[in-house]
Amino acid sequence: MAKKKFVVGSFKEESVLFPAVKAVRKAGYKIHDVFTPYAVHGLDHEMGLRETSIHTAGFIYGITGTATALGCISWILVQDWPLNIGGKPHFALPAWIPITFELTVLFSAVGMTMTFCYLCQLAPFVKKHHFVLRSTDDTFAMVIDAGKSNSQEIIAFLEAQGAVDVHEQFAETGWWFGTYNKEQQLYKDTTVDIA
Amino acid sequence: MHLKYEAQIREPLVDGDKDYHQVSEDICRPIEVKPSRLWYIGFFISIALLLFGVWSIYDQVVYGVGQWNLNKTVGWGWDITNFVWWIGIGHAGTLISAILLLFRQGWRTGVNRAAEAMTIFAVICAGQFPIWHMGRVWLAFFIMPYPNSRGPVWVNFNSPLLWDVFAVSTYFTVSLLFWYTGLLPDLALIRDRAKTKFRKFFYGITSFGWTGSTKHWQRHEALSLVLAGLATPLVLSVHTIVSFDFATSVIPGWHTTIFPPYFVAGAIFSGFAMVQTLLLILRRVFNLQDYITLGHIEAMNKVIVLTGSIVGIAYLTELFIAFYSQNQYEAYAFFYTRANLFSPYGWAYYGMMTCNVLSPQIFWFRKMRRNIYVTFFMSIIVNIGMWFERFVIIATSIFRDYLPSSWSIYYSPSIFEIGFYVGTFGLFFTCFFLFSKYFPVIAIAEIKHVLKTSGQNYKEQVGGIELQKVEEFAGEYAH
Amino acid sequence: MVSIKEQFEIPAKMKTWAMALIAIGIISVVIGFIMHGTGTEEEQSVFWGTIMYNSIYFMLICNATMFFVCAVTLAMGGWHLVFQRVAEAISVMVPIFGVITFAVFLYIIFGGHLHSIYHWIDKDAVAKDKLLDGKSGFLNPTFFMVWSILSIGLWSILGARMRKLSVEADESPMDYEKGKHFVWRNTVTAGLFIVWFALTIGSVTPWFWLMSLDAHWYSTMYSWYTFASTFVSGCALIALWVIYLKNKGYLEYTNEEHLHDLGKFMFAFSIFWTYLWFAQYMLIWYANIPEETIYFKPRVQGVYKGIFFFNLIINFVAPILILMKKSTKRNYTMMTFMAVLILFGHWIDFYQMVMPSISKNTLTLGWLDFGVAALFIGLMIHFVGKALARKPLVAKYHPYLKESIIHQA
Repeated sequence: MAKKKFVVGSFKEESVLFPAVKAVRKAGYKIHDVFTPYAVHGLDHEMGLRETSIHTAGFIYGITGTATALGCISWILVQDWPLNIGGKPHFALPAWIPITFELTVLFSAVGMTMTFCYLCQLAPFVKKHHFVLRSTDDTFAMVIDAGKSNSQEIIAFLEAQGAVDVHEQFAETGWWFGTYNKEQQLYKDTTVDIA
Repeated sequence: MHLKYEAQIREPLVDGDKDYHQVSEDICRPIEVKPSRLWYIGFFISIALLLFGVWSIYDQVVYGVGQWNLNKTVGWGWDITNFVWWIGIGHAGTLISAILLLFRQGWRTGVNRAAEAMTIFAVICAGQFPIWHMGRVWLAFFIMPYPNSRGPVWVNFNSPLLWDVFAVSTYFTVSLLFWYTGLLPDLALIRDRAKTKFRKFFYGITSFGWTGSTKHWQRHEALSLVLAGLATPLVLSVHTIVSFDFATSVIPGWHTTIFPPYFVAGAIFSGFAMVQTLLLILRRVFNLQDYITLGHIEAMNKVIVLTGSIVGIAYLTELFIAFYSQNQYEAYAFFYTRANLFSPYGWAYYGMMTCNVLSPQIFWFRKMRRNIYVTFFMSIIVNIGMWFERFVIIATSIFRDYLPSSWSIYYSPSIFEIGFYVGTFGLFFTCFFLFSKYFPVIAIAEIKHVLKTSGQNYKEQVGGIELQKVEEFAGEYAH
Repeated sequence: MVSIKEQFEIPAKMKTWAMALIAIGIISVVIGFIMHGTGTEEEQSVFWGTIMYNSIYFMLICNATMFFVCAVTLAMGGWHLVFQRVAEAISVMVPIFGVITFAVFLYIIFGGHLHSIYHWIDKDAVAKDKLLDGKSGFLNPTFFMVWSILSIGLWSILGARMRKLSVEADESPMDYEKGKHFVWRNTVTAGLFIVWFALTIGSVTPWFWLMSLDAHWYSTMYSWYTFASTFVSGCALIALWVIYLKNKGYLEYTNEEHLHDLGKFMFAFSIFWTYLWFAQYMLIWYANIPEETIYFKPRVQGVYKGIFFFNLIINFVAPILILMKKSTKRNYTMMTFMAVLILFGHWIDFYQMVMPSISKNTLTLGWLDFGVAALFIGLMIHFVGKALARKPLVAKYHPYLKESIIHQA
């Protein structure tokens, strides 16, 4: 993990952001990410992101829950310790449907949420670099991976697209353990400043 | 980019001249300033009520369940009534977030956060009743199926009471996840605005390091939709299973097939009433009238009159089938003990009918739906009515059973039962006061999402689209 | 600029199909009548029972499309407007099928005295039967007929009023005030329809028409179950007609976004139907009271066993597995398949609600059932086609229409 060079531009309007994303991609710059205060519909497609397959994961967790419930209950009430309950057959399927349903939902919901947190790397005490502090408030922050190219050129390009407050940042892209109430020196910075 | 547009004749969801930043300011303010004196008064009253409940439970645990006035046939009294009542109230949150999300009701964005929080607290309150009713509460873990040291003795999976354990705990977990994943972006906002060290620390931890990355939002949206899809049948299943506690038996007045959907409708009914009570106070205390508008209140009142009428049809259906079945036991339960003003519990049945079926009908009138005082009054009436409903179902069906020699005397609660119930109010409001102080009571990110289509100032700007010819409009924007 | 091809013209092929199906239907009914209509009471009952469940089923699913329109109107929905006229057109079948249904009831109750269909019309049996005698304040021919007229009549009148209101949106652009007033008037009529719908389909009507087939048996859930069954079929019916028109090049503004939402309705209400099915079945199974389990005896253990479980597979397992995926709901072919499957499934559901009560020991499903169904389908194609051609397919100046055009599922 190392610090990388980025160019950050802020947008105030969705209607400016969308054409800008298109132009930036067309110009061949690599968008690291766009940080938005709310879910902007269609932005993921505009940026060329792949559809998430978190639904499929949810389906798989769900049928795991179904199988667990039916498997456990039928083993317990038919094999392990059969009891005559209300004169019903040992394999009393209608009476098991409620618990089966609940476990299906439980497995699916818990599994999906954990998958979500894992994929997005979200957890208590996780700290990430914030490019633009107001991007959780009212700013759409576009972050371009500058790589080895000239930042000034990108800055000019972004400004032409209507971005404000365009600047360059060196930042860590991953996450580390920490809290937000103190500044932290991450690692010993071994990279050489290029700019 | 996809056109965002909403018909002009729709009422704005956000009033006033707002931009994104103003929304953040308005909703975060209560968290960032010192609570008002009113807040402290309310909070300490809640704590006092809670302490009364703690005392009642302490006494009950030390001396046993005999402290309650349960008797030979009324083995379930106030405890189960209150359990069902609280669980019912806990249905509105998920309904607002999940079902209304699927039905595309835009107004849910203003009220879902508080409603979901309320759901979670109501379920916590509900859970107290079966737990403490066990008597030896330290053995409560026996209800969990696990291979134990007493040999292969398992819980009874065919028992509706065990289904309840699974249903309530699943419901609690899923509601919590749904609520909390929705909170993450808003907590991150507060973290990024934070000036004090405590806030930076607290919201830094609770926001899980959320940044607002597009990929994260994409997954977040997908997760919310699927959780909503899961929560919809889940919310139906919970009260359905609660109704199974009664309906699987062969007790007249309990065993009837309409119970599951009818309980669900009743639950939504009482849940919405509780949401109204809380939101009407909240919008006043925190100055959120621009976000919880009269339009929101009207929409919720429509749900109340709808569900109240569904419940009314169910009551009449039960009553009718008691006649139609020509079953003498059913007839006794319905026509002698319930719909009879002179029977011992007749007052409760007619109280229920008045509060739940008759009085909500005033919400057919738009003037009434948009009147805050009427709404507040009705929201309390409805919850009283729904308490009566549960009490009627539980007490009237069991205080006179098949065997007249075991007929019990009139059941009325002891001070410990009352104290326990009052204590759960304390618990509920304590939680709600803390929530309203430390968490954003309105889903900020969701409001921002609809702001440009449904905010008052933005709606005024797009009037031109309204005048455009349909053909031109479609040519430009249809996909 | 997009040109609106909004005026439907009935294709020749459609006319041929309608006439062919009606012909098949009439021939089946005539042959059926010759074979069974004058036979033993048992044979007659099966014949009339078959016609009865078909007419009730087809009338109720057409009525459910008007319920759909009214429910969405009351919920202040705007997304459905690009195809609302389709749902409206289907609902013109209510008075037509209503007359047929009513005629069938008239014959069963007054003409044929078919006691093995409605046991409670047999005066001698009622006099000897304490339970039926007790019910006779409710279960009597007069009240049955009055309630049937009221049900069908008010559905027809209120439905016609909704359709008439809709035409106003063709005339001229509406300004803010006019638009608001128009929507308000729509909600009032829709509200009346919903209230009457709740009092009929949500309670009394299915008790009369269907539940009283087993005159001793009772279930409080029964009416809501009937509602769920017809409503999911109604959604499927709308989807089917929308897809047909779309294939013919009409309904330019309707696209897979709207289809997706119709698919969601079909999916959600298939599950809702299953939920009610399960609640009714499980509670009766669990309590095991003979008065109640008698209903399921011929269905679960008798000759109808196969149909009973087939019903569950086709109406629950298939929709939940196939319609769960987003891509299925946006695919015209898959949606056509699912809509047909759901319509067929709930037709079978009505079959198993009615026929086991009439013919307990012999399975009656055969050519006659399909023949009668063909008659109703033919009539529906004929009249709905005419209704569609009568006015533009899109209410051009409806205040919410633009929302519907840009709708995203």
